[in-house]
Amino acid sequence: MGSRIRGIALNTFREAIRDKVLLTLLVFAILVMGSAKVIQPLALGEESKVIKDLGLASITLFCVLIAVLVGGRLVYKEVEKRTIYIMLSKPVRRWEFILGKYFGLMAVLLVSMLIMTGGFYITLFLTGIPASAYLLWSLLMTLFELAILTAVAILFSSFVTPITSAVFTFAVYFVGHLTRDLRLLAAMSPSPVVKAVSQFLYYVLPNLSNFNIRGEVVHNVLLHPQALALSALYAVVYTATLLLVSVAIFSRKDF
Amino acid sequence: MSVLVEPVIQTVKLSKVYRSGFRMKRVRALVDLDLEIEKGETFGFLGPNGAGKTTLIKILMGLASPSSGQARIFGRPPRDARVKSRIGFLPESPYFYEYLTAMEFLRLSAQLSGVPGQEAEARVRRLLKLVRMEDAANVQMRGFSRGMLQRIGVAQALVNDPELVILDEPMGGLDPIGRKEFRDIIAKLRKQGKTVFFSTHILSDVEMICDRVGIVIAGRLVNTGRLTEILTEKAESIEVTVTGVTGKFRKVLERVAQQSIRSGDSLLLTVRGDDEVERVMAIVREAKAKVSAIVPRRKTLEDYFMARVREAGRN
Ligand SMILES: Nc1ncnc2c1ncn2[C@@H]1O[C@H](COP(=O)(O)OP(=O)(O)O)[C@@H](O)[C@H]1O
Ligand SMILES: [Mg+2]
Repeated sequence: MGSRIRGIALNTFREAIRDKVLLTLLVFAILVMGSAKVIQPLALGEESKVIKDLGLASITLFCVLIAVLVGGRLVYKEVEKRTIYIMLSKPVRRWEFILGKYFGLMAVLLVSMLIMTGGFYITLFLTGIPASAYLLWSLLMTLFELAILTAVAILFSSFVTPITSAVFTFAVYFVGHLTRDLRLLAAMSPSPVVKAVSQFLYYVLPNLSNFNIRGEVVHNVLLHPQALALSALYAVVYTATLLLVSVAIFSRKDF
Repeated sequence: MSVLVEPVIQTVKLSKVYRSGFRMKRVRALVDLDLEIEKGETFGFLGPNGAGKTTLIKILMGLASPSSGQARIFGRPPRDARVKSRIGFLPESPYFYEYLTAMEFLRLSAQLSGVPGQEAEARVRRLLKLVRMEDAANVQMRGFSRGMLQRIGVAQALVNDPELVILDEPMGGLDPIGRKEFRDIIAKLRKQGKTVFFSTHILSDVEMICDRVGIVIAGRLVNTGRLTEILTEKAESIEVTVTGVTGKFRKVLERVAQQSIRSGDSLLLTVRGDDEVERVMAIVREAKAKVSAIVPRRKTLEDYFMARVREAGRN
């Protein structure tokens, strides 16, 4: 079982790294971070925090872009190009296929993040901003957030077109960062329909704002390990649930 | 054939209905299909485009599920992964990961089929040689021609040394030399004792290499059997060419014949058996016309096939 999932994951990884989309995004990301060097004169005192925040934010943004754009095509493309026939004619179970795809994209995200983080730290070094490893906590939490987002992308990818999937996944990402407002809306709105819809979205959509700790790490605020661990656990459970749903949908599918 | 031996492929009243289009129009792609393929058989599944060949193969591969009835492979449901490790499959007009080289793709196929590492390497090389793709082993598949993809497709289907090989239109889109090579490969598999099930809409493909054929038209299996049995099932036909018949007589002749083709003032009539030839001759004499040729024709698979397609069209 492990070997088949690994095979599919590696294949997914290969596809991504031999694809132009990923390369373009990575080059672009490095350029964006490199541009911090341009605003170097500002980078004293408080401004160094701005650069750190921008750096972390762009790593997150580009990873989200990769998850959404690559993830949105992940399963769809195999169906469209009929390579799925080959995969499923091997002794590969459908859930193994989905997991292989999932882990393959997670590996892509991990490697992309490592590359961008390398670029980020080099930029900090070149601009003379003291870089601490404390910042990495924020990226770790981003990774958990990406775990959820990739699962969302896979779920959509197994039944809608890449563009629709990308739009939906983005929507989930945005609204996922606004879930607190959703609850507020549910509580305040006089309209029962708005109340019901926002309540429903609040419970169904992932709560992603907990994964954003950029402000804390940039300002050296003390982190709460329990809170982080809880968020991580939340990500694992939410991801597992989404993957289960994807597998259930995928298993019933005719090709 | 022994009843104790489980058929390799078995379908019982297998039906598939697709709903498609805006109106959800029902398409009956397979209708109550009963089929049994024994171990070691080379079976040609023959039918025109849209007859339901790919649909049956998808169900056999667990890629689609039947609307009713059932399919079993080695006595198990097709979705069973244990069944898959005993099957090799080549889809219709196959397409593979274009960013992989042929070698990488075959290695992946071996890995997914559970072929152990060292064994896999040797096997992949042997298969590349079998399908004559050694030179392109390390080339990304994006530039591969239809024929090259087909070859790699066969190689990946054989990577697990399967007992049963299922090929959907393996010779589709190939030139005559390519077709010949494929027939040779199938003949080789047959010699190795493998069960081969392949679909085609081209008659000459099955004529040379199959033990048995099944003819499918509009989702129905209209006949299965040894080719020799199918072909001698009915009397041979005779072609009679008549010149100089007109009007009433021509109409009569056309009614007597199975088939008639008019060309200028001559008429090519296809009739069954000597009695009908006699009747034609009598009419021709009466019409004071001439018989210019009588050619007995051995019934070919093509005739048979065309007759079945016409029958299906009438129903
Ligand atoms: N996914 C599908 N949705 C709707 N109709 C389909 C689908 N696949 C096949 N069909 C229809 O089912 C019939 C049989 O198709 P198919 O099995 O591909 O035939 P063949 O392989 O013999 O050419 C055709 O009429 C085809 O249009
Ligand atoms: Mg077909």
